[in-house]
Amino acid sequence: MIEITIGIAAVTMLGMAVIMSYILGWANKKFHVEVDEKVEAVLEALPGANCGGCGYLGCSEYAVAVVADNAPVNKCPVGGEGCAIEVAGIMGVDVGDSVPNRPVVHCGARFEERKGRTEYKGEMRCAAANLVAGVQGCTFGCLGFGDCVSVCQYDAIHIEDGLAVVDYDKCIGCGACVKACPRLIISMTDFHEDKIPSVLCSNLDKGKDVTTVCTKGCIGCKACVKVSDIFTMDKNMAVADTDAYRAENEESAVEGLEKCPKDCIGFIGKNAD
Amino acid sequence: MGFFGSKEEFPGKGSFPHGIHPPDNKFYSAGAEVEVLPNPGKVVLPLLQHIGAPCEPVVKPKQMVTCGEMVGKGQAFVSAALHSPVAGKVKKNTVVTLANGRHLPAIEIKTDGDQVDPEDLWKEMTDTDWSLSTIPDYAPDEISKLIHAAGIVGLGGAAFPTHVKVMPSDKQLIDTLLVNGCECEPYLTCDYRIMKEAPHAIVAGALLAGRAVSAKEIFICVEDNKPEAIEALESATQNTVVQVAVVKTKYPQGSEKQLVKAVLDLEVPLGGLPSAVGVAMSNVGTMAAVARAVIKKGPLTHRVVSVTGGGIANPKNLFVPIGITMGELIDYCGGLTRDAARIIAGGPMMGFAFSDLNTPVTKGTSGITILTHAEAARGEETSCVRCGRCVDACPMNLVPTKLAMAARYQNPELARQYNINACFECGSCTYVCPASIKLVQLIRTGKAQVAAAMKK
Repeated sequence: MIEITIGIAAVTMLGMAVIMSYILGWANKKFHVEVDEKVEAVLEALPGANCGGCGYLGCSEYAVAVVADNAPVNKCPVGGEGCAIEVAGIMGVDVGDSVPNRPVVHCGARFEERKGRTEYKGEMRCAAANLVAGVQGCTFGCLGFGDCVSVCQYDAIHIEDGLAVVDYDKCIGCGACVKACPRLIISMTDFHEDKIPSVLCSNLDKGKDVTTVCTKGCIGCKACVKVSDIFTMDKNMAVADTDAYRAENEESAVEGLEKCPKDCIGFIGKNAD
Repeated sequence: MGFFGSKEEFPGKGSFPHGIHPPDNKFYSAGAEVEVLPNPGKVVLPLLQHIGAPCEPVVKPKQMVTCGEMVGKGQAFVSAALHSPVAGKVKKNTVVTLANGRHLPAIEIKTDGDQVDPEDLWKEMTDTDWSLSTIPDYAPDEISKLIHAAGIVGLGGAAFPTHVKVMPSDKQLIDTLLVNGCECEPYLTCDYRIMKEAPHAIVAGALLAGRAVSAKEIFICVEDNKPEAIEALESATQNTVVQVAVVKTKYPQGSEKQLVKAVLDLEVPLGGLPSAVGVAMSNVGTMAAVARAVIKKGPLTHRVVSVTGGGIANPKNLFVPIGITMGELIDYCGGLTRDAARIIAGGPMMGFAFSDLNTPVTKGTSGITILTHAEAARGEETSCVRCGRCVDACPMNLVPTKLAMAARYQNPELARQYNINACFECGSCTYVCPASIKLVQLIRTGKAQVAAAMKK
């Protein structure tokens, strides 16, 4: 008796399997979507990190953009140059210049350099602390609660003595930290060289007001601008022209850096200091 | 009037659902008569002291200004003019960080030349004769214009431009004017002292504002823990249409939606203003300023500030020029005591802790509360145990813990569904939370997230 039951069950299952497979086979043909082979090939070449560092929503959207809209092939920060060459090969175009685009934290003050710090007992997040006064005197600079650290998937930004510091050996330039910072002091910058000069301050106030809140803030004295072409002034602040900077300008940049009375200009990037 | 034995004369129950009963601690400064502060050496006037568009400076550095001269003008409709409380010389433009964290440009004026004695200004306020019979001579439009010209904003703390509130409107009929003298915020006593010492100015202002909006009924609302203020107002309102409504002492009774519920038994719709149910509301100090602006043509240059708490040597109520630094007020009150721990602009529930004593007093500064270590102590944050005390406390019937967690885990969509923007940050939830979760700060963060998400 039991053999018959098993037999009926087995035959029923087999029959269903055959019918289902026919339906699936038919559906596969009927609903077939044409996918450009190139898109698949590009997607294969991309690392699949889905970090959004290229400016598109994940790798597959970027792959479609490369094939359909002739988007630049060197946008993937994770894959870097190797990936760009591979994608360029698939698309049959030139790689173009691939300049690494990395975040720069425009604040250089650690705890001991900041004035007006208080015992803050609120929510330990920059976004929350940014809504109240009195955490520290400077309303422009790094708060140091690490909203940027918590969004970094590559362990490439850390808080050192209350200051966010990028680890350029690990950073792939996805830009997540830029979006996380409520004070907007992190910006993406093209690194034409391994290390570039940068003004490590964001305080737009006049010199006197800056000195009341920080011992390391840019006071807009123009000392660096006078001795070096790399620096220009913008709203009470010195700005380093990173697009124009090349290794041969290093001496000029160092001159400007040494003139700075507040020590707020520094080299950043791989092998800096 | 429940507490005093007579009959309630208003439709509401004198209270609202939920809310809390924190110790009011008004004893520190309630007994101190308002003292007039001598003119300071300089004033710093931030260009945005109100809700709305910032002022544009109308004076140049090195220019001499007289007492009460306009130094900043608001171009937009929702904006307020700024007047110098002292005669003096305009210095270079500067920047200040206000207690609420806003970093703003400001006009600095160094005192110089002929001054108006601030004692006279305070005498003007405490005057008992405001020639009430002349009030019907003012056209409603004229009242609103004079208030605009005097730069008056809500002096209760939010600093919303008053001329906008009392603008006669065809679209929105106002039948009741509520004058808010609840002062439910613990510690603060500036409104109490104004009600006690300048009740006639409040009544004159209320009649003027009531005329501007064509209100049929005018109530001055006072909590029942201020019997002396009630007495003063009752005698000042005799032979006028203004009534005194005594409401129960409960926090946040002074919030506009809660007060409308308590006095008129009306529900202000979600996201709406009291004008949606035909009510205009303004603070008692604002009404006194309105009376002075319209009848004596004086701009808003001074205000009453309470300096109070366990951390100040001599708690006082002071009549001070707007733009004076907080540090000068603290010095005038004998300085901080040894165990002073935290300085707050405003009261402990809704105020902002700050550390820079050069922060200027603005039009919205109702007090400086200095807490001691014992008063400011707060436990370490622990996990939410879903006890629901914040839900029971929330006067807006929200779920604070849900809103706070939506903010912490960055879910603006969830926060919006739970009506995060209905929260007016009274702090009741944070006060009762046994887990010491910083609910209000998180909700403020959440509001910023919702605003950012809406922009996208």
